[in-house]
Amino acid sequence: MSLRSPGWLVLAGMVAACSTTTPTDPGPVADTYTASIVAGQGQFGLPSTALAVELKIRVVLNGTTPAANRTVTWAVATGGGTIVPASTTTNTAGEATARWTLGAALAQQTVTVNSTGVANQLVFNATAQATPAVSPTLVATVPIPANYGIHDTFVRDGLAFVMAWNNGIRIYDVGNGISGGSPASPQLVSSLVTNVNGVPGGPQAHNAWWFHNPVTQQKRYLFVGQEGPANIGTTSSGDIHIVDVSNLAAPVEVGFIHVPGAGAHNFWMDEARQVLYAAFYNGGVAAIDVSGTLSGDMSSRIIARVQPGGNSTYVWGVMQLGNTLYASDMLSGFWALDALTLATKGGGFNVDERFTSDLWAVGNWAYSGTWGTRSGTRGNAIKIWSLSATGVPTLSGQIVVDNVGTVSDVAVTADGKALVATAENLASPGLLVYDRVDPANPSLRGRVIVPEGLHTGELAVINGRSYVFAARNPGGAGPALVIYDITGVVP
Amino acid sequence: MALPAQSRIRVTPMARGIATVTRMAPSPLLEPVTEARLVQPMVMIDVAVGERLHATISLNAEGLTIPGGQLTAGGWGEGFVDRRHPHTYVHELMFSARDLLGPVDGSARLALAAGKGFVPFGTDDPMSRPMLMYPVNHHLSQILERAVAIAQFKIGPVVAEASVFNGDEPTEPGDWPLLLRDDGNWRFGDSWAGRLTLRPVHQIEAQASYADVHSPEHRAGAGGEARKASASVRWHDAPAWGERYAMVEWARTSELDGFFVFHSMLAEVLVRRRRIGAAYRFERTERPEEERVADPFRSRRPHLENAILGITRWTLHTIRAEYDATDPDGRVQLTPFVELTTGRVAEVSGGVFDVVSTYGSNRAGTLSVGVVMGWRSRSHRMGRYGVLAPDHAGMTPHKGH
Repeated sequence: MSLRSPGWLVLAGMVAACSTTTPTDPGPVADTYTASIVAGQGQFGLPSTALAVELKIRVVLNGTTPAANRTVTWAVATGGGTIVPASTTTNTAGEATARWTLGAALAQQTVTVNSTGVANQLVFNATAQATPAVSPTLVATVPIPANYGIHDTFVRDGLAFVMAWNNGIRIYDVGNGISGGSPASPQLVSSLVTNVNGVPGGPQAHNAWWFHNPVTQQKRYLFVGQEGPANIGTTSSGDIHIVDVSNLAAPVEVGFIHVPGAGAHNFWMDEARQVLYAAFYNGGVAAIDVSGTLSGDMSSRIIARVQPGGNSTYVWGVMQLGNTLYASDMLSGFWALDALTLATKGGGFNVDERFTSDLWAVGNWAYSGTWGTRSGTRGNAIKIWSLSATGVPTLSGQIVVDNVGTVSDVAVTADGKALVATAENLASPGLLVYDRVDPANPSLRGRVIVPEGLHTGELAVINGRSYVFAARNPGGAGPALVIYDITGVVP
Repeated sequence: MALPAQSRIRVTPMARGIATVTRMAPSPLLEPVTEARLVQPMVMIDVAVGERLHATISLNAEGLTIPGGQLTAGGWGEGFVDRRHPHTYVHELMFSARDLLGPVDGSARLALAAGKGFVPFGTDDPMSRPMLMYPVNHHLSQILERAVAIAQFKIGPVVAEASVFNGDEPTEPGDWPLLLRDDGNWRFGDSWAGRLTLRPVHQIEAQASYADVHSPEHRAGAGGEARKASASVRWHDAPAWGERYAMVEWARTSELDGFFVFHSMLAEVLVRRRRIGAAYRFERTERPEEERVADPFRSRRPHLENAILGITRWTLHTIRAEYDATDPDGRVQLTPFVELTTGRVAEVSGGVFDVVSTYGSNRAGTLSVGVVMGWRSRSHRMGRYGVLAPDHAGMTPHKGH
């Protein structure tokens, strides 16, 4: 093909054709720039002191393309601090940074960010406090095979039971002593690929509970939830697998529990009564007698099962507090059930604008996360519930977490001081730690951005220090058990 | 000294691309979107060594021109939603050996083909069919850009094909098929497909095919099996006054042992008289709805679990008019066109996906204008190797766009 041939003319024409995007109505091509926060939101620091993390924003063209050389202006809106530089331009990644020194006031302070051609103004907030801030510290990263990765972890007696999806369960010593492990240096004790049980997709080990039976003093059984395929909101699949961990070095699967047409999700136990509570998505909530020896098909041990939302039932999780079993239903909200009968005590149909995810209840308060997108509203909220003397929940308020799409897990530390949440999707997923000085208005004290997102976070106290055992999602750096020390984040 | 005819090398280069402006309304941005793009920019080279050896090379620059995909009503796959994904830079690199037994098998033909390219499954790639817009069923009706080994046997009007390949679909334009997994197991060969093609007369071709694809959407192989079936009848005729083409296809994909099943029916026709062409396509296809990320045109990759938000059924009508301004010797193709897609979207399986809150409407549509530019590319029919290669099988191809 010579340079004078028609082929080159065609190719030149192809190259000359431009590519632009216009989300406008009507027609002619025009570009849309949007800005979002990348890092630095919600920090704590000393008055008149620079914050530890630089503020960083990103400008993109038409939703995806990094916008370079856009002018960005930074300004202190409240608190009287300083921001340097006051004006800068975005780099090739569309990002710009600035260093914020807080003002002298012991209060929340704000910085506004504007960029040329960007419609939305960004607002950073930070809190000046008299005592130095402590951030969650990453102490260990344990890669998990990308098969699909890790969903949840159960920690007890210094052992971490990692649910590694189609790689089954992996037991790590994180302070037990059986293999010389610690939170900073987890040591693999053993692993087991749980049975498929005919569920499409494989073992799909999702969550677990290690049963310490106060009646028999045995620590024999590990219950494993299998999260099979699901059409969220309608169908689900997967069994509860019963694993004998009498010999932690050689766990053996001994039985299972099956609910026809439904799949297991999160657990809670009334160990004194030897009752396992399990969320079964569209199958509702099941109470299962797990006393005595467990072997083979234990489905007949289901004592009671309810679908609190009727046809709008898709239960994510359960938690017992006293005589009340709380259930978070993705479709119908936050429920209070009688722990003995599973009869409804109150709640329900109380979160309409978002899908509900995980839950935690402590004292007179409960918290629930939110998931995905419902009618255009992101699952970026933590719902706050006040509990009556009989355990009935009333919505008290909510925390809206900026730049996340799902609050996937919530839990309160054993001392009741901190509310810990994990988040996924959008620009700032990761770990969030709030103080509960005012349980009705938790205040953000620490935040770690994990770009891949954290699916769950399990709390544990080991050798006097508080840890979060979090499940990092696939993508980016890959799936992993990531362990954070959060001691002192909430004094 | 002249080379014997059997060893002569014949190189046939081709090039093409489509400059287009497309407007989508409604869109997942909840407002109309208009984009100007260069799509399907390709250079194709066919190399024939004698009569029996053949190489097919297709290079695709969509990774540069549409890294964010092409607006497409109902489009999905490879992490894109409501956009058609860009193809990989090396779209095809296939080597074929035809009529391996020569006269030993009489009029029958045995052939082998291997390389990166199309799996013998389903219908022609949409790139070599009349419409600009890919149909919703692209990931139900074609399997492409795989490392594939194909055995073919042709006897009379029947061609039987069997193949093995890697199950993973590309995740980036620069991807090559994954041959070996991190755990040491082979990805190549974890999937297979077979196709039976019948051509009773010159103008008509029918095919039925089946494929078992392992974990197509998770490169490392953690996903389940996709069992795919396809059947179609294609008619093409090129009378002196122009061209006539029609195709009807049915496709079904069952994932995770039938937990999710997707169906497709499609029919399309083209009539070209002298320089004026008109085409129509009807499609009713189901697709999975997945959790979207910050970009509403993208879904989460890699997957975290085997859950979807629901299944939607797209019922679309596409009409197209074009003017063929190709030069008299047929070397440079310039075909301006206008193409309209309109239809409806319905939820068909429960789930939490809400069509109206996602798009603001249960209607779907795109309007495109553009020009197909080509150089010697009028007769390219993709994904046909060995005894099915157009110049060998005598299966006159549709000229494409």
